[in-house]
Amino acid sequence: MTTPQPALIRVENLVKRFPGVVALDDVTLEIHAGEVLALTGENGSGKSTLSKIVGGLYQPDGGRILVDGVERRLANPHAALEHGIVLISQELTLAPTLTVAENVLLGRLPRRGGAIDWPETRRRAAEVLAELGVHIDVERRVDSLSVELQQEVEIARAISTRARLLILDEATSSLSEGATLRLLDIVAGLSARGVAVLMITHRMPEIYASCSRAVVLRDGALAGEAPLPSTAEHELVRMMVGRELLDYYGSRVAAPAEVVLEVDRLHTADGALKPVGFQVRAGEVLGVAGLVGSGKAELAMALGGAIPARGEVRVAGRPLRLGSPRRAIAAGVGYVPDDRRREALLPPRSVAENISLAWLDTITRFGFVRVGAERRDVSQVVTDYGVKTSSLDKRITLLSGGNQQKAILGRTFARGCPVYVLNEPTRGVDVGSKSAIYGYIQRLAEKGAAIVLISSELPELIGLSDRVAVFHHGGIRAVVAGADLTEEVLGSYAVSGTRPDEHPSAVISTGAIEPNDTPTSAVSGAGRTR
Amino acid sequence: MNETLLERIDEKPAPPARRPVWSRIAAATGPATGAIAGIVILTVILAVTQPVFLTWGNITNLVGANSVTLVLALGATFVLLAGGLDLSLVAASAATGMVFGLMLQSGADALPAIAVTLLAGLVFGLLNGVLTSYARIPFLVVTLGTASLFASIALLLNDGKTINVFDFPGFAFVNDFVLGQAFGIPFILMFDIVLIVITAVVLRYTKFGRGIYAVGSNAEAARLNGINVRLTTMLVYVIVGFTAALASLVQVGRLAGAAPTFDATLLLTVIAAVLIGGTAYTGGEGGVGGTVLGVLFLGIIQNGLTLTSVSSFWRGAVNGIVLILAVALGVARQYGWLRFGRKGR
Repeated sequence: MTTPQPALIRVENLVKRFPGVVALDDVTLEIHAGEVLALTGENGSGKSTLSKIVGGLYQPDGGRILVDGVERRLANPHAALEHGIVLISQELTLAPTLTVAENVLLGRLPRRGGAIDWPETRRRAAEVLAELGVHIDVERRVDSLSVELQQEVEIARAISTRARLLILDEATSSLSEGATLRLLDIVAGLSARGVAVLMITHRMPEIYASCSRAVVLRDGALAGEAPLPSTAEHELVRMMVGRELLDYYGSRVAAPAEVVLEVDRLHTADGALKPVGFQVRAGEVLGVAGLVGSGKAELAMALGGAIPARGEVRVAGRPLRLGSPRRAIAAGVGYVPDDRRREALLPPRSVAENISLAWLDTITRFGFVRVGAERRDVSQVVTDYGVKTSSLDKRITLLSGGNQQKAILGRTFARGCPVYVLNEPTRGVDVGSKSAIYGYIQRLAEKGAAIVLISSELPELIGLSDRVAVFHHGGIRAVVAGADLTEEVLGSYAVSGTRPDEHPSAVISTGAIEPNDTPTSAVSGAGRTR
Repeated sequence: MNETLLERIDEKPAPPARRPVWSRIAAATGPATGAIAGIVILTVILAVTQPVFLTWGNITNLVGANSVTLVLALGATFVLLAGGLDLSLVAASAATGMVFGLMLQSGADALPAIAVTLLAGLVFGLLNGVLTSYARIPFLVVTLGTASLFASIALLLNDGKTINVFDFPGFAFVNDFVLGQAFGIPFILMFDIVLIVITAVVLRYTKFGRGIYAVGSNAEAARLNGINVRLTTMLVYVIVGFTAALASLVQVGRLAGAAPTFDATLLLTVIAAVLIGGTAYTGGEGGVGGTVLGVLFLGIIQNGLTLTSVSSFWRGAVNGIVLILAVALGVARQYGWLRFGRKGR
């Protein structure tokens, strides 16, 4: 096979071993100039290892790397940079106390007569940012910028080095929807200018929005390659997981019963959450959609007692005093926060201690933890929720993101609460674990829990919820159910506050929402694979 | 092409790698690897070169000389595990020691004097605890301030003068306890062991102990799961105050006097011992076992320097280097120099 032009980057038969595991096993792939290639797979499939090898951070144990058809050794990130390869990972590498301009041109500041030419620095930095369509004052200190703007500065820096291949390793995982869209725009612009982009992600919407081809890794080996967008999503998922995920969201047969959660005029003092009211029945899943800053996160935290809030909340008829996680737990609210690392995990502790943390009270007698009961209950959670771990005493951070999340959800679900508030329960979790988590949520509802599911993934909300409340500017803009539950309708309410087909002035009233009155509703996402 | 393929096939069956011995030892001993290695190496060297080292006399001497450090370090372990630090513990100990001295001087019996001293320690700890947890002042600021305050109190209590307690009626009991023994085993060693067991049990097997680890690992996660973070934090400082008072009893008992000033390096030795034992200064990891090893390690070093007639001026240098090496080893562990091999995500 001869191509007129050799690929920009070609890796051949790449092998990378770590003690005890083969992280990459005979992987060959090509990236051409101007191409946007998705490198995808579940957590632990080797995608980051591959990107680190191409970025010069790791050395392969076998195989070779060709740049423009010539074999090269990328001994370190600097060597990779000399070939125009720039790796941008989740952890940003900016100098926080320097200005945007200094960061963009770091290490290459223009000089005049031995001194730094500041006007020229600002001009060039502004030029690069303008090229990206990013408008930031180049005089601002980087640590005063939001994460998304910081990332754009980092990309600007990459571009100012005349990068030919930009590797984005899970670059969107810390971004809001708006910033993600802007990043994807930037990627499209780069591609049009002939820059190749390797996007490492398992987020389907992004893959389909940006990439012309996807390479799927599974257990370190090439699981398949697919042209986009002509390959169906379930086909990609099948390659990632290695089996068909027919019943991605699972299904439940539930008869929403009595109202368990009543919320009235719930709001925060700072106005981030304006007074909202709704009710959720036992066995019902109320989805909550909305952009970042729409108030949906505040709703979750207020219900979980994580932040001070005002208004009335009743759980099984009893009023809940707001503003304390301990009181929320005692009242029967199981809250799972969205930021696993910052709000849920005890990073240095074992799987067992992380799990039993959620119900220390119930296994304590006279102040002493009953260790036998603890082991038994923890093992039960690990089994019930499919947490893959070689030992209960293993440090929780050694588990994959999906297994960490299963442990966190499992410990809360095992409390047996009448009400659950789940804030982004599948964030940062791979496809297989997601499907499992959906199943657990369905079982929970089937057993009669009232569930409030806050999510930024619309397909997930549609697949699991009986109704979805869409937040906009701090309040509930609309409650959508039945045939209206589509991404188009939800997205439109979330972004503009109106229905897609509606004139902006004709807006649904935002009064309190009554629960679904249908006596029995079978919600099912069966066969609907994302 | 064929060659590379063959090569690959030959290498491929990467066996579930038998981990090297040192790696397995490191995994089994946990974060206290450095302290254990140091103790073993030093013990072997000293046992060979200094015949007196392994005699019972020297060992009881070692225990006695390090009991104050141990008691203080056990308290400091609690606060470090909870993610804090108490810079005032040695000053608090000096102040409670003066309280004890004054009580004895006033003719009080041993038990009331001890009770008042312990109470003073609890009050000092409560002050630190309330200021850090409920007033939310950073612990470094609070304990730096109270260190100065307690040191001043120690001086003010008896106008800066040492109290010679040997002849006071209440002292006999303390003296007998600190220096006495039964069946050849010093009471102080039994006291140390009891204290070690109690603190270990509290940390490992009580809800309060679990709460300390949770708060030190991730205070927000602890709070969201119903742990009373402020109460836990406050009690940790109260415990430090209590152990400071206990240590002062031992100190007064050993010296037969209550001194208003104290060895300036003691604070560093105490915290170094806890860190060398593998307790993370970031909180949430480590425990009493490590602290005991850390105290023992620094104690053996000191003992070794004495036995080999090296100037005691070297003590600080050796302690400092050992601290940095031990913590460096811990960092290396965390970043996987000894246990690498996690798959890239």
